[in-house]
Amino acid sequence: MNKLKAAFLGKNKNRSICVGVVLLAYIIIEVLMYTGSLKSLFINLLVPVTSYIIVALALNLVVGVSGELSLGHAGFMSIGAFTGVIVANVTATFIPNDVLRLIVAIIIGAIVAAIFGFLISIPVLKLQGDYLAIVTLAFGQIIKSLINNTFLGYDASGFHFSFITNKVQLASGGKMLINGPIGATATDRISTFTMAVVVLVLTLLIIFNFMNSKYGRSVMATRDDRIAAQSVGINIVKTKTIAFVLSAGIAGAAGVLYGLNFSTLVPAKFDFNQSILILVYVVLGGLGNMLGTIISTAILVLLPELLRFLADYRMLIYAIVLIIIMIVTNNPTINNIIKKVFKKNRTEGDHNDV
Amino acid sequence: MSNERLILKTDNLGIDFGGLTAVNNFNIEMKVNEIYGLIGPNGAGKTTIFNLLTKVYNPTRGQIYLDGQDITNESTVAVNKLGISRTFQNIRLFKEMTVIDNVKVGLEYSQKYSLLEAVLHLPSCHKAELAIDEMAHSLLRVFDLDEFADAKAKNLPYGKQRKLEIARALATSPKLLLLDEPAAGMNPYETKELMETIKIVREKFSVSILLIEHDMKLVMGICEKITVLNFGQVLATGTPDEIKNNPEVIAAYLGSDEEQEG
Amino acid sequence: MDFLSYLITGLGLGSVYAIIALGYTMVYGIAKMLNFAHGDVIMVGAYAAFFMVGKFNMPAIVAILVSVLVCTLLGVLIERLAYKPLREASSLSVLITAIGVSYFLQNGAQILWGTDTKIFPTLIDFGNISLFNGALQISVLTLVTILVCVVIMIVLTAFINKTKTGKAMRACSEDKATSQLMGINVNTTISVTFAIGSGLAAIASVLLCSTYPAVNPTLGSMPGIKAFTAAVFGGIGSIPGAFVGGLLLGILETLAKAYISSQMSDAIVFLVLIIVLLIRPTGLLGKKISEKV
Repeated sequence: MNKLKAAFLGKNKNRSICVGVVLLAYIIIEVLMYTGSLKSLFINLLVPVTSYIIVALALNLVVGVSGELSLGHAGFMSIGAFTGVIVANVTATFIPNDVLRLIVAIIIGAIVAAIFGFLISIPVLKLQGDYLAIVTLAFGQIIKSLINNTFLGYDASGFHFSFITNKVQLASGGKMLINGPIGATATDRISTFTMAVVVLVLTLLIIFNFMNSKYGRSVMATRDDRIAAQSVGINIVKTKTIAFVLSAGIAGAAGVLYGLNFSTLVPAKFDFNQSILILVYVVLGGLGNMLGTIISTAILVLLPELLRFLADYRMLIYAIVLIIIMIVTNNPTINNIIKKVFKKNRTEGDHNDV
Repeated sequence: MSNERLILKTDNLGIDFGGLTAVNNFNIEMKVNEIYGLIGPNGAGKTTIFNLLTKVYNPTRGQIYLDGQDITNESTVAVNKLGISRTFQNIRLFKEMTVIDNVKVGLEYSQKYSLLEAVLHLPSCHKAELAIDEMAHSLLRVFDLDEFADAKAKNLPYGKQRKLEIARALATSPKLLLLDEPAAGMNPYETKELMETIKIVREKFSVSILLIEHDMKLVMGICEKITVLNFGQVLATGTPDEIKNNPEVIAAYLGSDEEQEG
Repeated sequence: MDFLSYLITGLGLGSVYAIIALGYTMVYGIAKMLNFAHGDVIMVGAYAAFFMVGKFNMPAIVAILVSVLVCTLLGVLIERLAYKPLREASSLSVLITAIGVSYFLQNGAQILWGTDTKIFPTLIDFGNISLFNGALQISVLTLVTILVCVVIMIVLTAFINKTKTGKAMRACSEDKATSQLMGINVNTTISVTFAIGSGLAAIASVLLCSTYPAVNPTLGSMPGIKAFTAAVFGGIGSIPGAFVGGLLLGILETLAKAYISSQMSDAIVFLVLIIVLLIRPTGLLGKKISEKV
């Protein structure tokens, strides 16, 4: 009982609320599905939405917690997705159990994405501000280009690879894993909503445990004041690298879930627009605010679907709503009202007039 | 030259920014556990010297010795690990973090656990965190900040923010603490309190303190030795009495006796 | 000889990127924001010129002028409606708003004009110049493009350095608050900046579509990203930087397409960008920002 109580104290409170909300939503959705109350349209969105929530949480780790703008996170999702496809196809014969195969794919996909994250972080973290952002954009484009030009096949004699032009020749029974711009086709759809939620809950636990540890504190200190952080002995590059690599790995896991949910997957799907979309989810949910990210991503991914009745006008309305939300939430008058209403965390006298 | 252990010694330290010589021929000999003052008009180069000592800037010439060790070519992070900690002229707290987290950041070095242990919150991590938590709370108690432990640093009133910055600097267990205008913006009561706090800090943490200040009551009250800086060069060095009565110092900076009571 | 031909084509493409990049860099320098929707203003300009010639049978020069006018007004309107309310907000918030504006323009264009690709009319057709006994063919359009870019560069630099408005723009880019105290109307200055950037975007769109005549709602996307990259590459906020960055990017892209692979040309260009930024972390001509401690 004490342990349950402790789960809701202080720092652990946010973690428990997030996990609680997710589990509650999961139960409700499962019940609704069981009673047949959910439209198939919605059911088909369950895995994608959960995947996007996981990527958005990963991005929040970089943008919100670490304070760096990343414009290429779709690239890590892409690496995860196509790695997942490769692993799932290759292990199909000796791991017949779908769930087990998915787990293996997720683990390998996350590790591969994390490795790329590490390699990319080396040049990226040598830069600052907008220049750092531009390099993440560049890497996102490079990853997309690389996969777009990859021809990877698998048959009884192993892997066959060619670059830019398709020179892959497969024996009978072989399969084309990545077919250049066409990407992956005929993938076994082994992602499930349950597994996606499991990964989401694990992601939340990992992220919150990270933030509440010395690693998280170092990253946030570096974000708040670089020079002061150095003055208390924090190695800036090492700290930011850890956050970036962790984020890449989580995004990769999300990518696996996403990629194994569709029978066809093109590399062009994970482009700059996708990276920007995820960024919008994160900013709207609040930088560093994990619960906010979950809610904002869920709403923003589902919104275009809910607005289907508006037909051609729905993306236009979406855009207008986005602009209005940004203007309203940054309006000084409204912010003052909010400050007065939520007057917690205030100590006596607020003279920040240095 | 005494054989006493010198916590800080510089050898003709100097820095040029392009064509401008900001500091030149800066020499200091600070004894262990001394409270040493660095004073001078605005723009004299006092903060620049702090930046040199903490390697935020690289000196153009000269050497720096911390407790006998040459730290001239070390990085800011290395210098902190070797034992120098500082506060800043324009408070640099981790604004979005809580008061206690600001201090915990300084305590990271004391408990080691891996990233894996952290993200899985294994018992080893849990134990380490409890230890850090306790150390952080006790440090906050020294500065009467414990009741604000969970408040956001940016919401603290000004005087308490300054104290928090000192607490954070002490968290890294420095040998030498550099305080940059710790009394700036404080009223006379707060200044008197700060003077006591600094003396307690020196005793409790066995730390040598070098401070920059404009408030002469504080400087003359607690400093055992003072260096006066003007236009980037040392104007005079001595005990508070010697400095108070040095005609050059009076002309350049202090003014007459009546003006000093400010 | 082939190399020279590619070089000139690259300069042509680079000139277009440079003109677009000027819009990004000026707005960044003065309003301190990344105008994500800039690429889509180009798209609107292209459609404007398209309809002037196609629907209203206007001569080329009128079409171009109308395009410039439409883009200029659009740019100022966007600034007033969407960006001005966020003057005091974080740069990330403004970026997201700009993204919203970009979506708005793209989807608006889709609804109004359909997703089908229209063909841009030939406005500038003076054929090719033949040099070295026919060994080198240079399209006059390419030369015109480069010339226009150089002229814009010269005029803009003179404007920034010699006129009162130009001085106001430079002052605002250094310190908005002080500029205001000195009597500079910051709002007007920012609007003028957007106006100039957007007007230039129209010119860029005409030049771009004359070479690559496909007109559709997303035509501004990729050139926008590339020009933005060029602006940062050259040093964001620096006008000569946008010029240099744009030209170099155009040359790099064309050479990569010609000598390595057209499918990988984008990746190669971005790779070079990364390498350059590692050598010069604030861009080729960017200012090093030092923090006061």
